[in-house]
Amino acid sequence: MTRLKTLLTSAALFAALGVTGAMAEVTVLGWPGGPEEAGLRKAADAYNATAADADKVKLIFFNRDGFFDKLAADLAAGSTDFDVNLLATYALGRYAPFMDPITLPDASKATFPEKVLATMQYDGKQYGIPTDLSLHFMYYRTDLIEKLLSDADWKAKYGEISEKYLGKKLEPKDPDAWTWEDWMATALFFTKSINSDSPTRYGTVLQMKNLLFNMMVWHSVARAQGGDWMNDKGEIVVDSPAYRTALEIYKKLYDAGTSPKDSTTYEFAESNAAFGAGQVATMVQWNAAFGDLDNKEKTPAVAGKIGTVAPPTGPAGRFTHIHGLGLGINKASKNKEGAVRFLNWLGTPDAMEIYAKAGGSPALSDAVVAKVSAERPDLVKLGQFAGAYGFVMHGGTAAKALQVYELQAKEFTAYWAGDKSLDEALAATKAGMADLLKP
Amino acid sequence: MPRTSRFEGRLLIAPLTVFLIALLGFPLVLDIIYSISRVGFENIRAPEPIGFSNYAKAIADPEFWAAAWFSLRFGLIVSVIQVVAGLGLAVFLAPLFAKRPWLIALLMLPMMVAPALVGLMYRLILHEFVGAVPYYLLEWYGDFPAFLGRDWAFTTLVVVETLQWTPFALLILHSSYAAISPDVREAAALDGARGRRLFFNIDLPLMMPAIGITFFIRFIDSFRVFDNLYTLVGPGAGGSTTSMSIYIYQAFFKVGDIGLAVAASMLLLVASFVVLWLINGLTARKAPL
Repeated sequence: MTRLKTLLTSAALFAALGVTGAMAEVTVLGWPGGPEEAGLRKAADAYNATAADADKVKLIFFNRDGFFDKLAADLAAGSTDFDVNLLATYALGRYAPFMDPITLPDASKATFPEKVLATMQYDGKQYGIPTDLSLHFMYYRTDLIEKLLSDADWKAKYGEISEKYLGKKLEPKDPDAWTWEDWMATALFFTKSINSDSPTRYGTVLQMKNLLFNMMVWHSVARAQGGDWMNDKGEIVVDSPAYRTALEIYKKLYDAGTSPKDSTTYEFAESNAAFGAGQVATMVQWNAAFGDLDNKEKTPAVAGKIGTVAPPTGPAGRFTHIHGLGLGINKASKNKEGAVRFLNWLGTPDAMEIYAKAGGSPALSDAVVAKVSAERPDLVKLGQFAGAYGFVMHGGTAAKALQVYELQAKEFTAYWAGDKSLDEALAATKAGMADLLKP
Repeated sequence: MPRTSRFEGRLLIAPLTVFLIALLGFPLVLDIIYSISRVGFENIRAPEPIGFSNYAKAIADPEFWAAAWFSLRFGLIVSVIQVVAGLGLAVFLAPLFAKRPWLIALLMLPMMVAPALVGLMYRLILHEFVGAVPYYLLEWYGDFPAFLGRDWAFTTLVVVETLQWTPFALLILHSSYAAISPDVREAAALDGARGRRLFFNIDLPLMMPAIGITFFIRFIDSFRVFDNLYTLVGPGAGGSTTSMSIYIYQAFFKVGDIGLAVAASMLLLVASFVVLWLINGLTARKAPL
């Protein structure tokens, strides 16, 4: 009996110690299964090497599938299983009620450009440290564009095609100086069914699947025309002439055959496969695609022949959609002090250097990115483009922003596929958005 | 019935009753509560009762009816094709199966693949730049249809579903065909029945219950199509390939309107019960006089 009592007492003590230990740790819920996880693991190891026991970081990961819904349910239920959790720009409004705003340390203001910090802001408050950024590049085949810019026959044909399809005679330009019209003309020129001399089957590949992420890609076109979700008064303005023009650009290109017939089922992977096969001359695509496309083993047809610039200019300027992943503090956390200390460290140039070298994709200020540019040259453009051209639609961080993307994806793909007129699609979108974004 | 026997009977049936209450009763009650509540992921533990407005919203939603029509049309078409093809194969291949029964196992292989993987597989096979089918069509004919595009998506889905699940129909109908007593056929032959007449007047009537059951199972399975459809084309441009399962999934996970999703699933439950009851009534074997 005495032995049993000793055993039970020891077990209770161990359990108590375990609980105390767990409470002292900072538990971080990260984005699983990709370079973000690899980056976070390295950063956490570096932090734990010098952190006090009570501040040491423990990482946990869900499955990616349904991540944001599970996270929303956990946050709403007041879960204390994690102190720091993942955030995404397009879900900020959904999580903000269940998170604590943070005060940015001075170091983080030197680490990230202002527009990048803004990807973690909602209602004027900062909710997280931006760890990864996604934006769009205009990808193009350097070998084809070089010939287009130098070959007199190609230039003449380019002028003929642009006049026939766009109503004005255009001349080939360097991609960094493209307007969206120049891009359209280039896409038409490199389409075999339009120009039998084209070395590629298609001039571009449009991601037109009914999928919210495809709307983000298209938004770079819309914003350059001057399109936005809402105006300053909070009114829905998706039926603006700018939005119409951007939708018509895709429709015109798709109907002209510049993009594969199955484009209405294309997303990130299918578009990369098309471009990687060497049968597409240009595409607007996520920055994350560059690594694989420029890999000689994965895509030998195009590796080493890919140029990337920011998306073309429109009447309202040059823009790229940006959204970030970041880490913020769970309102129900039991160790907020420890969580703040970890986030303050994570926002420093040293922490981001470790994170970037381990695979993460932070958009960093020029001074900080210079330290990692040799190993991660892609991050140079990421930071530059985000700072110069990045935008978030007005309302793009609202609590129901994801539903707005879903709604636009459904309605706009209906228009592109020919199931709805532009007026019908825009009217349905406007009505749905008014309902979703009402205060 | 003696009291002890009644007690024993109740005791024996208790585990099954508890099992059914736990696995079917509890989710059903929860579903009923959610279907009459305003509930999303944020208040999933504290739904706010709102009466029957979720049901009204679902019924008034044209997309709900479009999804129901898609599922019904898809379920009926593929079930009919699978039963006809399965029946044809079962009859024409019967002599071959009698000599080489291992061939049946070979034909069953498509059923072993998870439907989601089948969807992914065809997405690759039909992709213009990595798929074999567009490649050879382009080589031979200089063009190919957009298999997953708006005009072809439904046909492609029907073909994919048929290729995967016709073996199921074949299996059941082959068993049914093989179970017909040779004596019956012999007697019919003595009366002069041959070929088509033997098939339509003897074999087919005897196989009708099996045909009905096969159709019944395939219809249920095809009506609730989700996995292969979702991985192959998703909800489609403008929601053109949204089945009932996808409608419910999207309302639940994408839109976060759990009340609407559950109300739609409850409506589907009721409709399914009525339809299946009718089909069951039509296909049930009549009791002998």
